[in-house]
Amino acid sequence: MSAKPAKTVYLGMSGGVDSSVSAILLKEQGYKVVGVYMKNWSRDLPGMKCPWAEDLADAKRVAVDLDIDFEVWDFEKDYKQKVVDYMLAEFKKGRTPNPDIMCNQEIKFKLFYETALSHGADFIATGHYAQVSLGAGPAAASSPTALSLVGVPQAASPAPTLLRAVDENKDQTYFLYRISDEALSRTIFPIGHLKKPEVKRIAAEHGLANAHKKESMGVCFVGEVGMKDFLKSYIDIKPGEIREQETNKLLGHHEGAIFYTIGQRHGLYVGGGLPYYVVKKDLIKNILYVSKDLNHPALWTTELELEDVIVRNEGDVFLREFGARQRENQRRTPVATGRADAARKSISPSLMVRLRHRAPLIPCEFDGHKIIFKEPIKRPASGQSAVLYIGKVCVGGGIIK
Amino acid sequence: MIYLDHAAATPVDKKVLNEMTPYFTEEFFNPSAPYLSAKYVREAYEDAKNRLAHTIGAKGTDLVITSGATESINLALSSFDNILALETEHPAVLQNTKHLTKIKVKSDGRIDLDDFKRKLTDKTEVVSVSLVNNEIGIIQPLAEISAIVREERAKRLEKGLKKPLYLHSDASQALNLLDISASRLGVDMMTLNAAKIGATKGVGALFVAHGVKLQSVIRGGGQEQGLRSGTENVPGVIGFALAAELAKSHLKSNRQKYSEYRQLFLKEIQHHLPDFQPTRPKKVSNTPYCLTFKHQIPTFLPLIFPGVDAERLIYKLEKKQVYVSTGAACAASKGQKSHVLTALGLSDSEIAGSLRVSLGSTNTKEQIIKAAKFVADVVKEEYVRQAR
Repeated sequence: MSAKPAKTVYLGMSGGVDSSVSAILLKEQGYKVVGVYMKNWSRDLPGMKCPWAEDLADAKRVAVDLDIDFEVWDFEKDYKQKVVDYMLAEFKKGRTPNPDIMCNQEIKFKLFYETALSHGADFIATGHYAQVSLGAGPAAASSPTALSLVGVPQAASPAPTLLRAVDENKDQTYFLYRISDEALSRTIFPIGHLKKPEVKRIAAEHGLANAHKKESMGVCFVGEVGMKDFLKSYIDIKPGEIREQETNKLLGHHEGAIFYTIGQRHGLYVGGGLPYYVVKKDLIKNILYVSKDLNHPALWTTELELEDVIVRNEGDVFLREFGARQRENQRRTPVATGRADAARKSISPSLMVRLRHRAPLIPCEFDGHKIIFKEPIKRPASGQSAVLYIGKVCVGGGIIK
Repeated sequence: MIYLDHAAATPVDKKVLNEMTPYFTEEFFNPSAPYLSAKYVREAYEDAKNRLAHTIGAKGTDLVITSGATESINLALSSFDNILALETEHPAVLQNTKHLTKIKVKSDGRIDLDDFKRKLTDKTEVVSVSLVNNEIGIIQPLAEISAIVREERAKRLEKGLKKPLYLHSDASQALNLLDISASRLGVDMMTLNAAKIGATKGVGALFVAHGVKLQSVIRGGGQEQGLRSGTENVPGVIGFALAAELAKSHLKSNRQKYSEYRQLFLKEIQHHLPDFQPTRPKKVSNTPYCLTFKHQIPTFLPLIFPGVDAERLIYKLEKKQVYVSTGAACAASKGQKSHVLTALGLSDSEIAGSLRVSLGSTNTKEQIIKAAKFVADVVKEEYVRQAR
């Protein structure tokens, strides 16, 4: 080891293979690694067992194996306030929120980041499939030399760049687009340059007990039982009518309108024939309107209005297109760096949007508020996020109105 | 493998397994069935129950066979509202009732008899004190406790009070080391556990003295004198009876063997960790030590390494195929702080650094010597990491 004292990295460890391999890689790179299990949710709900105790044991086992420090940080109160309450409020409004995005914004890359710094961390790290590059704009980042910088922050820079993972199939930048520049500039994604099979191989080579652990999917605390049962124990849900949009004919009953999203075709209990799609939710009367018409206008759109828009990478190609206006806005309103709140014009030929985790990238235009598509797309649920990319670079996004 | 967690589970003894096997495959009949072959199974079952009962000086009809100690405890306590229990009891006792008053322990881990007398009132229906604590192996003075219970009964009789008062004791950890006689101990109910003495998990018994009125927890076909319905676990009880008999016949040699092993372990660990103390230091410090008590069964070695995270030791030891535990297995899996060590006044740092080593039938002298070194090694590794 060099004479310089090792930099300290606080690594979020979940007990899964991705964060475990992250710990191995960071240690190999000479960092002093402190593994942290974030205890966000430990309540067992009726019919579902939260796996936190086992996850914690798995994470700790890996830390002990690697002979690194390990701590448990209790974020339950904050998680409930910032993530669960947000999620419930959104559902009550008839929207379909994405709690993972909120968890990254408020917990992992805010509370965890700040706590780590106060413990003396130089960097934080997570096992996300994503890459970060400091001081390299999208043009540079798309060249192979710049990409070699990716993974480990090279120097302090006001404009870190968030890039999709090398493993496009596993890329998690969809969940990360809202994290702050400040946190990102001190974040390491140790496995962002690896493909999943390589990650598994490293885990197996090191004899990690959790190399073959089943991957956790979706929201951690909702676990195996699913969102529906989770919501049932928090929100009063009343059954209501399902009616055909065109004829107003009563087709059946639903368990609660908030469970359904526009465009959904499953679970309507109306039976037989062509499938029905939800085209309208009347939350006041608790009526779900459905249609057999796959071409129903409610199911398709050529534009999406966004709110709470985040624009990443001040000064990059994306912003240069409409940079003047952006800078003017920032002078007028003391909002956080990178947040765009006024209409802007941006027509970039290479701008792409992702509407769900792992969904294909779709070419689009964006004016700061509205995403415009050349061809109609199936309308995504309101409350979900639209995340924008130029090349590999995540340039921002917003929440669909 | 060096297995040092016999208080959590024991392997089924080969002899016990052989005795059980025919009752899984050939003599599988429901003992309540009407044909002769089933009657033979019934007879074998009742015979086993009798033999099991004899090991504690009781009759087969005094026993209710259950699915384990937790169920036995639930059956013993759930008929009553006002329970007085030792603060160091197993959660099966402490979680059992809304009206539970806890009796304090003294610094030697034994019941504070003055506190007990103070809290014993006209309203108390059951007193529950384990014979041997499941975390640290402390033996409670049951005979003294039952004498106090008898006094209270006499007082009630004088006052013309009809409310009965019973003494229940969980003897799950005691069968292979203590000579237990229900009548000599003066208990009205006693919980027994097959899983800790080389028989199978999922089998337990509750001794219920004549005249004790209980309500069943599991209702149905009326088996076990109507107190515990459900088809009898014939192989389980056959195995339990033999294991209890074997334990009884080895009491003296077991006590001697495990006392030697315990001494050896402590001597060896002291050899590798020179500041290790075989007993609890008078003053709180960072000195590692063994929670040794005067009244303690010799299979228990609660090791305290203040300032060390015992879970890390466990994960390191498991890599060397040495299996130890922290506190009780069920509490440990939930990440809870040991209420037993808390009651004994240990600091948080001592509790976080506590390992429960429990010896048993699988251990040899060579294993004890090796295990002591492995434990010392991983403790030293932790000291090194902490110093970095």
